[in-house]
Amino acid sequence: MEILVCLKQVPDDSVELHLKPGTQEVNLEGVTPVVNAFDTYALEMATRLKEAVGGSITAITIGPEGAKDAVKTCLAVGANQGCLITDPSFEGADTLGKSKILAAAIRKLEADAGKPFDLIFCGREATDKASGQVGPQLAEALGVGVVTDLVDIQQTDAGVQAKQETEEGYRLVDAPLPCVVTVNKPPYDPRYPTIKSKLAARKMPIPTLDAAALGGVAPGAAGSHVVKVYEPAKRQAGVKLKEETCEETVAKAIAMMADAKVL
Amino acid sequence: MSQYNKVTPELIEALKAAVPGRISVNGDINEDFSHDEMPIYGKAMPEVVAECLTTEEVAAVMKLCNENRVPVTPRGAGTGLTGGAVAIHGGVVLSTTKMNKILSYDTENMVVRVQAGVLLNDLAEDAAKQGFLYPPDPGEKFATLGGNVATNAGGMRAVKYGATRDYVRAMTVVLPTGEIVHLGASVSKTSSGYSLLNLMIGSEGTLGIITELTLKLIPAPKEVISLVVLYENLEDCISTVPKLMMANLHPQALEFMEREIVRLSESYLGKSTFPQTFEGTDVNAYLLVTFDGENEDQLTEIIEQASEVVLEAGALDVLVADTPQLKKDAWAARSTFLEAIEANTKLLDECDVVVPVNQIAHYVTYIKEISEGYDFEVKSFGHAGDGNLHIYTCSNDMELAAFEQQVADFMEKAYAKATELGGLISGEHGIGHGKLDYLAQMVGPVNMRLMRGIKEVFDPNLVLNPGKVCYKL
Repeated sequence: MEILVCLKQVPDDSVELHLKPGTQEVNLEGVTPVVNAFDTYALEMATRLKEAVGGSITAITIGPEGAKDAVKTCLAVGANQGCLITDPSFEGADTLGKSKILAAAIRKLEADAGKPFDLIFCGREATDKASGQVGPQLAEALGVGVVTDLVDIQQTDAGVQAKQETEEGYRLVDAPLPCVVTVNKPPYDPRYPTIKSKLAARKMPIPTLDAAALGGVAPGAAGSHVVKVYEPAKRQAGVKLKEETCEETVAKAIAMMADAKVL
Repeated sequence: MSQYNKVTPELIEALKAAVPGRISVNGDINEDFSHDEMPIYGKAMPEVVAECLTTEEVAAVMKLCNENRVPVTPRGAGTGLTGGAVAIHGGVVLSTTKMNKILSYDTENMVVRVQAGVLLNDLAEDAAKQGFLYPPDPGEKFATLGGNVATNAGGMRAVKYGATRDYVRAMTVVLPTGEIVHLGASVSKTSSGYSLLNLMIGSEGTLGIITELTLKLIPAPKEVISLVVLYENLEDCISTVPKLMMANLHPQALEFMEREIVRLSESYLGKSTFPQTFEGTDVNAYLLVTFDGENEDQLTEIIEQASEVVLEAGALDVLVADTPQLKKDAWAARSTFLEAIEANTKLLDECDVVVPVNQIAHYVTYIKEISEGYDFEVKSFGHAGDGNLHIYTCSNDMELAAFEQQVADFMEKAYAKATELGGLISGEHGIGHGKLDYLAQMVGPVNMRLMRGIKEVFDPNLVLNPGKVCYKL
């Protein structure tokens, strides 16, 4: 199975971020860039599928030169080859523009390899802006189906069966190939690279594709624009209740909630 | 021998005047103040808890109690493991946890001034924001710095950076008489008489109450990477350690872990982090190694060399924790060992002997052998890089008396073996009152006499933390 995984380099999401004072710009000084957590889940799921049915994984990202590190990280934990899509004209593209660029890159990689991708994995959203739009928009741009919020995937005779997480539980969705899937947190964690795979990944070349290589693709007119960037209001500290017994504590909690008219 | 008085209503009033609004008495005292994290050494409720805010308040409490011959037990966050902060002779517990301000950084001299009740975690995070590393890294991140200094706590990074002692430049101390003294200075060297500063470090609140500290910082390393090394058996795992140390690669931390305790910790965290098998072989032991450096290329070279050493020495494979998430997961599993054990164990005791690094394998094998003869389970892990082992005796079904009796027998053997191999009774947890008899056996009567003599010079009425470290009443 030919698999492609789209990934995004984002600021380390375990670090609390703040805006630069008086601006709407996030201060990223000293914050380590990492692969978006949902994309690492997507790669792990793709790698498990590849190990089960055979095939190859290509990891791609749009970003500056430094985003090659994100691709290398993926080459150490399952991806067979990778590619950086980079061009000054891509900077600032919104999700619609990025989906268009990714679609052009996918078509280009398919043409170069002489074979299409069967399955395209994306994280359900990126941990920086969390729009959750690229996967479905990419499917639209490629003219294929999309299944979102996967926590498992199996190959079937007709394509794949995806286990989709819903608000009520799970839904099993059969999908023909090719298709796009977006991945939620599965019941396992991404693997560690081994020293061998890490050193091998370090030595692998990461080719780049620019706008010209993609037939002059441009993000085009933005489908959305940012109105305002602001920090969420700080949550007030909670109240700790510790009465003599559990029953008394619960009764007090209920009384407090009733007073606050939340019950 | 000193006789203590009970806390009188008059003394309570005087304490309330000295520490307004922060004196708790009898029924108002939280039960937590009756024990630390090793309650097997006994619980004791103090008569009074004083939560001080300043050095002057501490001095006032100390002076009043000394004059009234009422014992005072200093206490940080209560995370100790030897009963050191338990008021076994009653009296006043003096809590430093409200003295929790980071006072100032001197970035040119790379020192920070803190109140003694600042939590290790808070300083570590704050120093990181300023681009510094506070190297001491004990497993319990929510201990106070005063407590860390009082026990000379070590931790994971001691293998490269040393223990807490190496980072204390100066301190303010309230003596048992209530006098306030300043020890040390923000300088790199000293040859200025007896080092009272160093005497105070590791004295477990028996010589004075530390109220303020000037601690050394270092520039934070730019890159940090951890390796998880997989082994089929513990012997291969531990015998790698001297080879890794000889390779001159300066690991920041070097921990060994056995399969059972890793599974326990993972189950406690609800997250499976380390592989249980490798290409069909069961993984029974792990080394967790961290290196730091100035750039990725330098670190890659180091981990490549380290991997060659461990693979040649019989490791199954080497995993690389090279992203913030993977590093966090790997170290979370290690840092949770004690919590996981506590959560799953009704009766618990421990020892934290330290032996020469080349004797770890021998010592661990001995412990495994003697463990067979007891009804409790023995769980061990440790700082492989500095020979400091944490050995826990755990039981969920034994009677307390039988547990204590068997543990006493086990500990005697464990400490005797450590002594024979050139080790010491405690690497970082201290003596408190739980290990006092073992210390006496290990160091002998002359050393104990010297320690008692020092104690009497500082504390003529023996009112400060009585019954701990070097003398019993």
